[in-house]
Amino acid sequence: MECQFVPSVCSYCGTGCGVLFEVINGKIVGTLPMKTHPVNEGKLCLKGWNLHEHINSFMRVKQPLVKTFGRFIKTDWQEAISLTADRFRGIINQYGPDSIGVLVSAKITNEENYLAQKFARAVIGTNNVDHCARL
Amino acid sequence: MINNVKAWLEDGIVDVFLGYREMDHHHLPHCFTREHMEEVDDLVISQVRYPLEKIATHMTEMDPDIKIGMLARDCNDRALNVLFLWNQLKAENVSTLTVNCCPSRLKEHGDCSYLTPEKAGVFKKQVGVDNNLEVEELDTYGRKERLNRWMYEFQKCIKCYGCRNICPVCFCKECSLEHDELIKTGPLLPEIPIFHMVRAVHMAGRCIDCGLCEAACPMDIPLRLLYGKVSQIVKDVFDYDTGSSALESPFNILGDKVALEPKPMEPAIAVNE
Amino acid sequence: MTVKRITFLQELLGLLGLEERLHLSWISSAEAQKFVQVVSDFTEKIRSLGPNPLLAFRESKIAVAAELMPLNSKGDDYDQQRQSMA
Repeated sequence: MECQFVPSVCSYCGTGCGVLFEVINGKIVGTLPMKTHPVNEGKLCLKGWNLHEHINSFMRVKQPLVKTFGRFIKTDWQEAISLTADRFRGIINQYGPDSIGVLVSAKITNEENYLAQKFARAVIGTNNVDHCARL
Repeated sequence: MINNVKAWLEDGIVDVFLGYREMDHHHLPHCFTREHMEEVDDLVISQVRYPLEKIATHMTEMDPDIKIGMLARDCNDRALNVLFLWNQLKAENVSTLTVNCCPSRLKEHGDCSYLTPEKAGVFKKQVGVDNNLEVEELDTYGRKERLNRWMYEFQKCIKCYGCRNICPVCFCKECSLEHDELIKTGPLLPEIPIFHMVRAVHMAGRCIDCGLCEAACPMDIPLRLLYGKVSQIVKDVFDYDTGSSALESPFNILGDKVALEPKPMEPAIAVNE
Repeated sequence: MTVKRITFLQELLGLLGLEERLHLSWISSAEAQKFVQVVSDFTEKIRSLGPNPLLAFRESKIAVAAELMPLNSKGDDYDQQRQSMA
């Protein structure tokens, strides 16, 4: 019986409360708040308390999926990326670059946010960049 | 104490030991095992408290014969008594290392001083219930204003289920608070006061006044007071000190030793027209 | 077991000031007279206690605590009435 307590940060909103995962035999079975964390001091919201269910949910997407004839078919990364790139190129040629918008998030790093807006502005050529906190 | 733990692990008295360890200046709970004996040197006793008994029940669920040792304060001892009583843990599989601790409301020499809640502000004292009150002082509120004061407190609830998740003696697989037909699970504001009153009724004979619920409540609802009142009622009516013994409880269906008469109805007061 | 729970619940509802609104009585189907008696008495009692105080909170989920609050806890004549009757 292997039991560990792994400290981590909640992945939902931008607050970043400290959580402890109860890992028994290599599987996450429970979530506890971290009492000495300066942000939350031992308190969690409903989303934070149920992180262990989110991680182990059967509804998590594990492979890229492509919608073919109305149904989702599993593919691999290479095909998914080239398909997306071709479709973006097609849309830009047909409707112009401003038809694509990019949404960034509070739970990815600042560097990834910068990368996303650079991608939107330099590669796609649009200023339509927005953030999940504004929604 | 570290030597005790090492001796226990080596002799096979316990398979795992639940205690606290310092990692990056945080005191976190840790499970010490025989394979990693050198970690036992980092065992500390700290002021932070986690519900180790709950983790013990999870482990026992997966492996009913596992022997668990734990660092036990007063509140942990009472919680373990309650869990033994309700067949969640086997008394012969759990060994405790008693640690000096501050006392509490249920035991006279106790007074968990580091559980002191924050000082209540002026508005809260005016319209709500002050967390710092004693249970006896709750009666000083008049009949009619009691409901308003408690509803003010309960309306702040965000239904995070923190109080139930962290409670060391809460172990039901199908919790009534999540049952859609008893308490509507959809809307964010739970149906008050039924949400907290259901929880209070379920805590009868189980709440050991460890205070973890109030510490976990993000809205500072005075839960210790509420469940303290429940414990006081249980003491007055059934003469049962929760957590003091692991033998029987008035709420165990088999322990029907308490004989009570239903209270007679008091006559109606004449309506003032 | 039932009696234990109901007694406990009556005391707990006293925390909210609702304790007299719950009553337990065992009546067999042959004791029609007793049933009528108990139900009429209880109806009278509830009528004298007044409407359900929780109704005020039902319309708006947020309690307007300051306005509904009778802030004097000493001037409650309910307890005095009880004492004079006892």
